[in-house]
Amino acid sequence: MANLRHLLPYLARYRWPLLAGLLCAVIGASASALGPYVLRLAVDELASGRIVPASLLRFAGLIIVAALADGIFKFLQRMLIGGTAYRIEFDLRAALFDRFLRLDQGFYARHHTGDLMARATNDLGVVRQFLGPGLNGTATALLTFAAAAVLMLTINRTLALIVLLLLPLSTLVFVLVGRRMRQVFTSVQDQFGVISTRAQEHFSGIRTIKAYAQEEAELAVFAEDNRRYRELNLRYVLLSGALWPSMALCLGAVAALVLLVGGRLVASGAISIGALVQFNAYLGLLSFPMIMLGWMVSLYQQAAASMGRLVEVLHQQPAIASPPQPIALPAPRGAVEYRGVGVRFSAEALQADSDDPGSPANERHAGWMFYDVSFSVPAGRSLAIVGATGAGKTTLVNLLARVRDPDAGTVLLDGNDVRRLALADLRRAVGYVPQETFLFSVPLRDNLTLGVDDPADPAVAARLQYAVAVSRLVNDLGQFPDGLATMVGERGVTLSGGQKQRAAIARAVLRDPAVLVLDDALSSVDTHTAAQILAGLRDVLRRRTSIIIAQRIATVREADQIIVLHEGRIVERGSHAELLRLGGRYAAMYRRELLAAELTD
Amino acid sequence: MSRGFDDDVILGKAYDGRLVRRLAVFVVPYWRRLALAIALLVGATLAEIVPPLLVQRAIDGPISAGRLEGLTPLFALYAGALLVTFVLRYSHNYIINSIGQTVMQDMRVKLFRHIQRMSLSFFDRNPVGRLLTRITNDVDALNEFLTQGLVLILGDLVTLVGIVAIMFALNWRLALISVATLPVLMLIVALYQRLMRATYRLVRQRLALINAYLNEQIGGVLVTQLFGRERASKAHFHTLSEDYLAANTRSLLIFAIFIPAVQLIAAIATAALLYGGGQGVLAGWATLGMLTAFVLYTERAFQPIRNLAERYTVLQAAMASAERIFGVLDSPEEVRDPEHPVALPTPVRGAITFDKVVFGYDPDEPVLKGISLHIPAGQAVAIVGATGAGKSSLVGLIARFYDVQQGRITLDGVDIRQLRQRDLRRHVAAVPQDPVCFSGTIASNIRLHNDAISDAHMRWAAETVNAASFIERLPGGYDHEVRERGANLSLGQRQLLAFARALAFNPAVLLVLDEATSSVDTATEALIQQALERMLRGRTSIIIAHRLSTIRHVDRIIVLHQGRVVEDGSHAALMARRGYYYRLYQLQFAEQGEAQPVGPEQR
Repeated sequence: MANLRHLLPYLARYRWPLLAGLLCAVIGASASALGPYVLRLAVDELASGRIVPASLLRFAGLIIVAALADGIFKFLQRMLIGGTAYRIEFDLRAALFDRFLRLDQGFYARHHTGDLMARATNDLGVVRQFLGPGLNGTATALLTFAAAAVLMLTINRTLALIVLLLLPLSTLVFVLVGRRMRQVFTSVQDQFGVISTRAQEHFSGIRTIKAYAQEEAELAVFAEDNRRYRELNLRYVLLSGALWPSMALCLGAVAALVLLVGGRLVASGAISIGALVQFNAYLGLLSFPMIMLGWMVSLYQQAAASMGRLVEVLHQQPAIASPPQPIALPAPRGAVEYRGVGVRFSAEALQADSDDPGSPANERHAGWMFYDVSFSVPAGRSLAIVGATGAGKTTLVNLLARVRDPDAGTVLLDGNDVRRLALADLRRAVGYVPQETFLFSVPLRDNLTLGVDDPADPAVAARLQYAVAVSRLVNDLGQFPDGLATMVGERGVTLSGGQKQRAAIARAVLRDPAVLVLDDALSSVDTHTAAQILAGLRDVLRRRTSIIIAQRIATVREADQIIVLHEGRIVERGSHAELLRLGGRYAAMYRRELLAAELTD
Repeated sequence: MSRGFDDDVILGKAYDGRLVRRLAVFVVPYWRRLALAIALLVGATLAEIVPPLLVQRAIDGPISAGRLEGLTPLFALYAGALLVTFVLRYSHNYIINSIGQTVMQDMRVKLFRHIQRMSLSFFDRNPVGRLLTRITNDVDALNEFLTQGLVLILGDLVTLVGIVAIMFALNWRLALISVATLPVLMLIVALYQRLMRATYRLVRQRLALINAYLNEQIGGVLVTQLFGRERASKAHFHTLSEDYLAANTRSLLIFAIFIPAVQLIAAIATAALLYGGGQGVLAGWATLGMLTAFVLYTERAFQPIRNLAERYTVLQAAMASAERIFGVLDSPEEVRDPEHPVALPTPVRGAITFDKVVFGYDPDEPVLKGISLHIPAGQAVAIVGATGAGKSSLVGLIARFYDVQQGRITLDGVDIRQLRQRDLRRHVAAVPQDPVCFSGTIASNIRLHNDAISDAHMRWAAETVNAASFIERLPGGYDHEVRERGANLSLGQRQLLAFARALAFNPAVLLVLDEATSSVDTATEALIQQALERMLRGRTSIIIAHRLSTIRHVDRIIVLHQGRVVEDGSHAALMARRGYYYRLYQLQFAEQGEAQPVGPEQR
């Protein structure tokens, strides 16, 4: 429940509209309580038989005026409080998004996208409901109740107490039945989960089911799941079906009592007949707000839980952040050095893959993806990394731009520990072409100019042309309906794996970084195009440091330095010629590739 | 999950006779209960309109006259009406929902049965998520249609007609005053409904945009961070969020006007009754009690009219869901059982013949381009070839996951299309490439839900394929819980389990779709190989081989290349030919022992 206090700063920001809304609620509630009072005066005069049509008209007019005043202030109240709720939702959403953009990959490895989306949609929605209709309804209910209470108490204490003490019973019934409903509903939802998992597994594994002709047996199990679901649902309906009828019963019982007791009071002359009508009108006025209060109780609990989930994200500190006093890096040269770097497997990865062959047998280094990795790439030179899938090549290069930090050792750029540089500076200096390229659903051009500070700059157009040519993306432009203006993604074209990689290369080239990292960036490109891209890149690479991860020898053979990563450490290192002479893993890889080339021809 | 946010259902008609008639088929079996539910609802709505009448009687009778004893019977009647209402409403709710639940159950089972009868090409076309939505959410929408839609509209109508009738019976002049406000209210509701629908759609569309963007940004957050795009992303998100805020403010405005407007109409009705009725009281054609009762009745008549808007949306959603459900139910079975199935000659021996078979997932792009083969009973065959050569298709055709486009496949001389699918698959077992596990127990993963497989037989199968030792080490042994997708088992364990399953069903023909399992340690690998060898014994088997060790167990090797058989013979014979197999062998198998599975870049 304490979670909701985190809303206070947001509420404080809008204290004036909220206070104004509250003021409107007070006036509105008073006006709505006045209507029945006017009705009473009219009825009493009617009962006395001494009324003239003109004064009837005056009473009718007063009723409409009271309703009009009530309506206007209720309108203002809704706009002020409800509008503020939407604004706070807006602020919370912005804060959440800001946090998402700052959090590191470690966080994203721990949280599924689906879970984060649920927080940004469902949980935010619940909090907004609590703030909007929730607060609004509570204010209306409590204030109307108070105003009506004052007026009722002035008429007759006994009758007023019957109403004031019994009406909240309906709120209580609502809360109690509602709570029990939620409990039963959990089991209903669990069973729904069983059904949907069953169907999902069945459809995903349909090949196996069909292969063993198990359709009938599966159907029987599914039918049984459904039967159980129906039974649980009926148990739920036993409660939910009673909710509204019992509300009606509670409220009706109060009305009946008012008629019985009030009738006696009228007959005995203690109150006027108009007063009885007035009481009746209050019952009508209060019944919905009383139910609303019950709803509010459960909403309050849900909102507290939801706010807790939001705060969990909002208060999450990114593990990767700029240091408080970063070293300035105005003109990066691109000298890269790794000193005794090591990275551990994450706890989850260890559990899931106990028989992972990549984990080294060495006891001291059990649990390390790699360790003791040292190398240095002078500014403007190139390094290639080869090794088996799962050897940690990607993780290794990811340390450079601080996608994560190493568990041991230091990574240096131009002689500075990367952890002491401002993140923006560091990332400005390193351009990545990752294995799996992420393209956004925006025009292709915007995807390419992603890293350019001012895409509108006319000079960018020329650079864009160059980047598109170097990456050979230019070959594909003809296939896109609108060339560079073509939308990418669901609402546009879907790029092939090779096209995506070429786009990623163009994107990185356009950013003009001091260090260019190609992480298996040509794997989905055919041999011929790969050769073309390499030729074009040669010019780009000549002027900057490059780190290349590749499966194909042709891609790495011209690197100044090649390292072979195996079982968590560097096992071979040298130039292409040196490694071939060595006759180790690299040489074997080379022979295999020659064979494959022969076979595909 | 990543999709679906922009799955904005464009709602169409609220009533489609064709769809409703098809839906009615599902409800007809329960018509007695439905009739009862409707009767209860009508009774409840009638009981609900009694109390204001009693108020009128009380005011005009005992209260005005000062006769206290007359009040008690009226109070008793009032309490009675309340109790009757409660009982009838409650039983209606229960019965109508129980019908809804039963109909949902029927419909889910029917959908499930239909979907699982579809051929695999249907599953290739329809993602599991979509099928799941049909069987879950869409069926739910139909339940709403029944419980919240049609029947309640009927109840609303009864309430409205009942109130109007009672008002006219009580005092036709006052009734006219009351009824006069109803058209105004209907107009306001209709206007509100129209404005709100458009605005609500706008709200949903803009929310969908936000969610789609958010989803994409979470997925690509690393790119945004590495390319320093945080500020631009935030700016764009801000714009989307502002648009959403504007749409929401608009809907708030409409709502904030609508609610007071309805209340104002109610106040005007009260005022009119007071003015007109007041003169009636003075003139003697109306009473104070009537006046009070009419104020109460007018308020109650408002509710059914206000409900209309909500019911309309329910109907629309239900129609859209029904459309989609029938879309699935109407999709034809592509692989069908013959009308007059042929029985396999017993005992089943397991001889397989391919006769000029042509097949493609897309008929215009054949994957298999004229395959003719004979595999005698009891022979173990390995199929090798590069990715995309058509290996999996070939094996899938024998199990009749798909039908051939040309030529035919026979089992023991019978065209497999003349067999019942069940009979065919009882004798042909396929172990899929990715060993599939279901949530349940180890035992249920071996025998699936086939009770004909005894515990002893299941254990024997597990022992034969070397799975027993790991199973017995698990807590609970064969009753050990297997989580979704077998997440708590290693890949090697899942592979052994899949083998045990194949063996437990004891087929005449075994098809093993064996994919290289790189992350299996050498000890497990040895167990798998031993299991495989035992399984091949004594039955026709076809294996897709990616490993040298697998090839050692077979009698014959068939090399597929681009949809044709290019080489066929024993390992020694093919090696001697120094052709395609020889080179493939050099490439794929020569350097085994390295951890890395060699994946030549294809094309």
